[in-house]
Amino acid sequence: MKTSKSLMFLLVLVMAMALVVSGCQTQSKESTPASNNEAAKVATYQRPDGVNADQAKQLLVDGNQRYVSGGVLKKDLGQARRTDLLKGQKPFAVVLTCSDSRVPAELIFDQALGDLFIIRVAGNVIDPVTLGSIEYGVEHLGSPLIVIMGHSSCGAVKAAVDGGEAPGSIGSIVEKIKPSVEKAKASGAAGNALYQKSEDENILAAAADIKKSPIVSHLVEAGKVKIVNAKYDLGTGVVTFMP
Amino acid sequence: MVQNGQKPFAVVLACSDSRVPVELIFDQGMGDIFVVRVAGNVVDPVSLGSIEYGLEHLGVNLLMVLGHSNCGAVKATVDGGEAPGSIAAIVKKIQPSVAKMAANGISGAELYSKAEEENVFTTIQEIKASPIVHHLMEHGLKIVAAKYLLDSGEVVLL
Repeated sequence: MKTSKSLMFLLVLVMAMALVVSGCQTQSKESTPASNNEAAKVATYQRPDGVNADQAKQLLVDGNQRYVSGGVLKKDLGQARRTDLLKGQKPFAVVLTCSDSRVPAELIFDQALGDLFIIRVAGNVIDPVTLGSIEYGVEHLGSPLIVIMGHSSCGAVKAAVDGGEAPGSIGSIVEKIKPSVEKAKASGAAGNALYQKSEDENILAAAADIKKSPIVSHLVEAGKVKIVNAKYDLGTGVVTFMP
Repeated sequence: MVQNGQKPFAVVLACSDSRVPVELIFDQGMGDIFVVRVAGNVVDPVSLGSIEYGLEHLGVNLLMVLGHSNCGAVKATVDGGEAPGSIAAIVKKIQPSVAKMAANGISGAELYSKAEEENVFTTIQEIKASPIVHHLMEHGLKIVAAKYLLDSGEVVLL
């Protein structure tokens, strides 16, 4: 008797709890439209395949705008995406930029797996290995766009401007940047403006080096590849494309 | 970070491959990793100078050389044939690693994989030959060999 009474009590308790729980569920169901809107605001990034150079540049402009405004999208970093990319990569742009930890190209352009073929060395300079990497990106992988992206407050450029002894292989980077510093000086730039002008000249110098590649120039002449110069501002986060 | 400068905790040499975005793979953000990326993660004066700058100038005491599976630069080297333009400069850097593995009797799909790993070790040997790096190793610098698996997303230490 006593057992059945307590069983009944238990049953009532369970039913009451079930009611409370289902009540909560109804409530949470009512609030779903709002959370759907939340989800829509942070949609997962997707991009079209087979873009041309101008469309590729626009993808970068749009991505940098999202980054600057704090509206970056969710990224598909899941197993399905990785498995899909095992078939091969089809990056829409080749980006040459600096090794500086404050210039993570994927984050700056709000891109993810399989989007950008990235070459990073201190001072974003060209030598056989970095040029070979760029050639691989456009010729072998078919990227339609090469971006040379320098940045403000570049330590490698500063070292070249400040002069003094550059130890070890750092010297080979400084040597690559020096002609740009000389050009900037010749234009009358001094003080802080000399750093900035040297950074700009160094971007142009890398672009000129890249254009000397027969593989790249052939693709450019055939209208298959475009080269654009850009500069990243560490302070604002804005990437300015040079005309 | 603009005013105070960068203080990355690691220097990573990795491949330019779009499927190897270093910051995303390690879930890191702004100012965290000094990243050197070239096809096939090889060193030459400019990429070595970049590594030296990160370690010596920025005071980083961890260097990782990160190869990866399905590396196109290693595959091009294994497959042989003509490497056009400056791509040949990369292939030439990888060739000794391929030759060494082939001499060990490795062939087929395993040759790609083993050559990728040997290429990481070869690169580290070249980095260690730098007097700056050698000096830093006597003062606590650690160098780590690793491989990123494109399929699972894992980074395994070699």
